[in-house]
Amino acid sequence: MGDETMKADQILDTRGLSCPMPMLKTKKALKGMASGQIIEVWGTDPGSKNDIPDFCKKNGNELLDMTDLPEGYTRYLIKKG
Amino acid sequence: MDENVNGAFINTIKEQIKDGYSLAFTQKWPSWLGGILIAIVALMIFLWDYTWGIVGGYHNWGDWIFYLAHASKDKPDTLPWLHHLSISDFGILTGALASALLSRQFKFRRAPRLEYIKGLIGGILMGTGAALAKGCNVGGFFSAAAMLDIGGYAMMIGLGIGAFIGLKYLLWEMEHLPQTTPPAPKTPPSGGLDWEKIKPYIGGIIFIAVIIGFYVYASYDQTIVGGLLFFGFLIGMIMHRSRFCFVRAFREPFMTGEAEMVRAVAISLLIYGLFATMIKFNYIQEPMMDVYHPFWIGSLSGGIIFGIGMLLAGGCGSSTLWRVGEGNTKLLVTLVSFALTNSAVSSLLDKMGIRDKLGSAHFLPDLVGWQFTVPIFVLIIVVWVVIANWNEKTEKFVIF
Repeated sequence: MGDETMKADQILDTRGLSCPMPMLKTKKALKGMASGQIIEVWGTDPGSKNDIPDFCKKNGNELLDMTDLPEGYTRYLIKKG
Repeated sequence: MDENVNGAFINTIKEQIKDGYSLAFTQKWPSWLGGILIAIVALMIFLWDYTWGIVGGYHNWGDWIFYLAHASKDKPDTLPWLHHLSISDFGILTGALASALLSRQFKFRRAPRLEYIKGLIGGILMGTGAALAKGCNVGGFFSAAAMLDIGGYAMMIGLGIGAFIGLKYLLWEMEHLPQTTPPAPKTPPSGGLDWEKIKPYIGGIIFIAVIIGFYVYASYDQTIVGGLLFFGFLIGMIMHRSRFCFVRAFREPFMTGEAEMVRAVAISLLIYGLFATMIKFNYIQEPMMDVYHPFWIGSLSGGIIFGIGMLLAGGCGSSTLWRVGEGNTKLLVTLVSFALTNSAVSSLLDKMGIRDKLGSAHFLPDLVGWQFTVPIFVLIIVVWVVIANWNEKTEKFVIF
């Protein structure tokens, strides 16, 4: 957790969007990725903090990190399963 | 020695309070718990006054805006602070605000322009749908079903169809509309007040203000209205902490397959409906109370239009209120357009005199007898959950 050196293959900026757009965009982005690749998602929707971990668990993806940044948004690192 | 023991005792109490606070305001409450608690408060409202609803309050607000803007000559009958549903809606918003402050989640959240447009149109669609169905996802579906008005099931089907269409649109939008970059989040200004520390205290003050509000209402002989403010406040808090969302229950089976919110709404409706049936059967409240939904054209078409709107907005009758309380500015736009449209379309439908053509109220016990009412009521909920659970595993209905 909190590994700053983890390299993401793709960055998805969903800041300012509210439910369900962050989840939809994350799902869509993950669809276009290969297994083992990492996506970094930025978001400000408070609901995503439950949705993204639940989604990862259900769909066999690995949530590597979830951190609230001082800049005022949350960063999620997801490894496609 | 004594002092040490005392110190340790006080520390344990402090720890306990801290743990309790964290349990209530840091961690998310499970959805099913939210569902059970909402059913209990909805039943309290039913016994206290009348069936719980949302859209009547929006209607009242819309009427007043039109009247005060001189767009309508009809002065609304009831002042917003005396209108029963207006005040319970206000309670929901306030409860969510207090809860968001107490859990340090309150923040004004700005959105890209396209989101505001979707919020506006979503509100217009929901206002129209709720006018046709004579209720939103709460009054038209949740409460209607619990009150044994079969219009509730017509709206339920409509909401499912509408959610499907709305989700199709969102998927299309992701492919075809330029994705605007959201405004950069403002860096918190340095110096001055530390809002993050103050927020929970403001939340606490709001809570106390609502309690005082109840006694103020009571002192003006408006105890019923004061109670509705308090019950609304509880619902707002419960909904915010458990993120209880009817939109999810209808959307997720098509989007991720997840059925958690279906189960939460189902358990809530089961408790609400079974107790309401007992209350009605024993004439503790009038059996025909709240049985007025236009089955089936009004409820079904209203449900479809409302369902599309709630997908665009990302909020429904109830979750628009609690999300505004959390600082969501997109849904503030929705709230205004919902209220105005509902007021306008409702009076248009009345003036055109087509209400009769939209359908009429049907009370389940009148159709099948009391002895079959409970089994049918339970069966419908069970079937809904079984299908949603099966879909969660197989993703047969997931369109994306």
